[in-house]
Amino acid sequence: MTIRFSVNGEERSVEADESMPLLWALRDLLGLRGAKYGCGIAACGVCTVHLDGSAVRSCVLPLSAVEGKRVTTVEGLGGNHPLQRAWVDEQVPQCGYCQPGQIMQAAALLASNPNPTREQVREAMNSVLCRCGTYLRIESAVRRAAEVMRNKEASHD
Amino acid sequence: MINRRQFLRNSGGLVLAVSVSVACTPRDHGENIPGTLTAYLDVGTDGTVKLFSPISEMGQGAHAAHAAIIADELDVPIEQVRVETAEPADPFRWTTQMYSGGSMAIMQWRQPLQKAAAQAREMLLSAGAIELGVAQANLDINAGEVIHVASGRRLAYGSLAAAASTLTPPDDPPFRNPAKYRYIGKDIERIDIPATVRGESIFASDIRRPGMMYACARLAPVFHAKVESFDEKPALALPGVMQVVEIPGGAAVVATNSWAAIRGAEALDIRFSKTAHDGLDSETISQQMHAGLDADDQALMAHEEGDVAAAVAGADRVFEAVYEVPYLAHAAMENWSCTVEMDEEGVLHLWAPSQAQDDFRSAAAKAADLPLHRVRVHTPRLGGAFGRWCDADAVPGAVHTAVAVKKPLQFFWRREDQTAQGRYRSAQVARLCAAIDSSGKATALDIRMSGQPLRARMREGELDTWNAVYGLRGIRYGFDSFRVDWVRVNQPVPVTTWRSIGASQNGYFLECFIDELALELGKDPYQLRRELLARDPRALKVIDAAAELAGWNEPLQEGRARGMAFFESYNALCAQVAEVSLKDGKPLVHRVACALDCGSVVLPDAVRAQVEGSVIMGMSTALGEQIIVRNGATVNTNFDGYRIMRMAEAPLKIDTVIIESGEAPGAGGEPPLPPAAPALANALFALTGKPVRKLPLN
Repeated sequence: MTIRFSVNGEERSVEADESMPLLWALRDLLGLRGAKYGCGIAACGVCTVHLDGSAVRSCVLPLSAVEGKRVTTVEGLGGNHPLQRAWVDEQVPQCGYCQPGQIMQAAALLASNPNPTREQVREAMNSVLCRCGTYLRIESAVRRAAEVMRNKEASHD
Repeated sequence: MINRRQFLRNSGGLVLAVSVSVACTPRDHGENIPGTLTAYLDVGTDGTVKLFSPISEMGQGAHAAHAAIIADELDVPIEQVRVETAEPADPFRWTTQMYSGGSMAIMQWRQPLQKAAAQAREMLLSAGAIELGVAQANLDINAGEVIHVASGRRLAYGSLAAAASTLTPPDDPPFRNPAKYRYIGKDIERIDIPATVRGESIFASDIRRPGMMYACARLAPVFHAKVESFDEKPALALPGVMQVVEIPGGAAVVATNSWAAIRGAEALDIRFSKTAHDGLDSETISQQMHAGLDADDQALMAHEEGDVAAAVAGADRVFEAVYEVPYLAHAAMENWSCTVEMDEEGVLHLWAPSQAQDDFRSAAAKAADLPLHRVRVHTPRLGGAFGRWCDADAVPGAVHTAVAVKKPLQFFWRREDQTAQGRYRSAQVARLCAAIDSSGKATALDIRMSGQPLRARMREGELDTWNAVYGLRGIRYGFDSFRVDWVRVNQPVPVTTWRSIGASQNGYFLECFIDELALELGKDPYQLRRELLARDPRALKVIDAAAELAGWNEPLQEGRARGMAFFESYNALCAQVAEVSLKDGKPLVHRVACALDCGSVVLPDAVRAQVEGSVIMGMSTALGEQIIVRNGATVNTNFDGYRIMRMAEAPLKIDTVIIESGEAPGAGGEPPLPPAAPALANALFALTGKPVRKLPLN
């Protein structure tokens, strides 16, 4: 069947079984390979994308739940997002496989909480696994990006 | 990723940078490249430098470090260096194999790569001298240009690349003065990170080929079980499913997309053969290892100095402790994915996460019944590996399926199969025994190991030096007498190399025992280590640095304790101090202080990153990781059951001091792992008074 939704600001449609998780539609049908397959059971978070602005595990989210909604993937951040810059500044990634999921999880956190405490960052980021062990740098990068975004916000006021 | 010849063909006549291989080595077929070291480097007409690295990039920063080595010796801006993993060929082999394991990226390859860059630089200078009609001695280099000092005339490397490629590489090129380095030893940004944060890094599962199909495996849960029969109809009935192919140990469902392939694999009605170990469980394995501790007649001597038996017999007292560790999964975030395509010339291409390209190539050639020269192995970025892809066991299934399908194919494992197929870090037990004389001095240390060997194909009677006793044969502690031996206990559980191999458990065994011994002797654990290392200034410097960084002698907050551990592996010495408290009954690591002496460092920040990752991985094994075996199979096959450390459990702070000792080159990616679990365990011991004799804690 045809399922329509917006991806990174563009209207897209896919011909697929509505039970297909969003992850596979993004990767195999829409050519967006930033989100990764890790566990298939929403336990590792490397497939994290946004659905109407909230972080979701795309490996278990059926297309039927995506119809008509807004999906944002790491490709949709544009490459120069404060989080992406902070990830470079803090030299976060090692292998990098989980990092698109980490960045999307962080983006959802900062959208809802522009000034998270250290504990809030650790709690919010707890759902995305990193086997290389980049957690401390992720924490620093999230807080750095939050500060940049707050300053930018303030200068617009 | 495109075929190199195709690229050269397609780009001919276009305004594109055409790479000229310095020393003109045809890399395409891999075999029998003459021994020119500049097989590593292409200099493009636009000045870009392409480096073919012998090492797979899996997060350790090898490619960035190799780029820094090249950029500094050749004197080019590092932004102009592109790195990809080479295909198997002699210049990229260490002895006989192309292999990314054993922490070799810098230890073994720094010198050959530096030499290759120096050769290339000399060839560019020679070409410049000819072009300018001046003596080479009057030329200098700067940031990708050859400069005639007297006249100020400049020629970009790119304009000289074609002429340089016709020259012979000098055998003994001079090296640049390290004072001129811009990258080595500096905190520079890793060149691969920007693409990663944009989601553009290409892993094996990101490879796309025209007309590509997807295949998901369904594999036997019981170790080594074979397919007895299967009914493909439930899979074929699903939309998108095209074909089912029997493969070694299971079947693969071929479909038009990954999801259809996964659903098909799950729908297969498949029966597996019985095995001799259908009743095997973790408890039995554990009992057999413990029984091995007493099998004196089967023990293989690994190292003996002095007369341990006499020391024990004459001891005032003997202190003994037994420790145990479980099987561990690598649990890299990337699952096995291998793309296979036969090109129009009958060459089979593989894109796979590989740490052993020669073995992968042989496995693929055998599975496809092709001669080696008709198989090419391409290595995209690896999504973590930690030793798992030193083994080519997953290659035949991918190739069998691709051969049956006769189309480009991406073959992958589900997480559950990835974990169940194992190739784990082996379980192991150890009994450590110290002889204490009447003056209260520990005079002898006797270690008995028991467990499965790293390789099932090892001959009976052969010592497992890489796993069972790795890092214990040459310990730096100065006991008057010292002995370590090992009892082999065969198991059908598939095992392989896992980050730091035997050091991953032996560091825990030795270092937790040292802390228990310190308590027995009434000594501070740091002071006991200082006494045992009194005649080893290099080791003393490392433990002193960690103790100082941690503030070992400074008072602690109420409810906290510190634990120290020290271990040597891969030519590097590493000491760590963990400061720990209990929060809701669980360990909270406030800080880890780490001192690492790996000789000399190329990219300090990449080494610090390796320390941080190793500490987290090591502590993860201490807290929650274990493979649980029931009825001959692993039962905890996904991240809900195999618990790796999450962010909220991570240490709050990890500080690293790197000691530039200038000693023989050592590693950075593995040596910081072995001390992490015992540092945490020793802190908990200090905090609670209860020794940690078995991992994991939870």
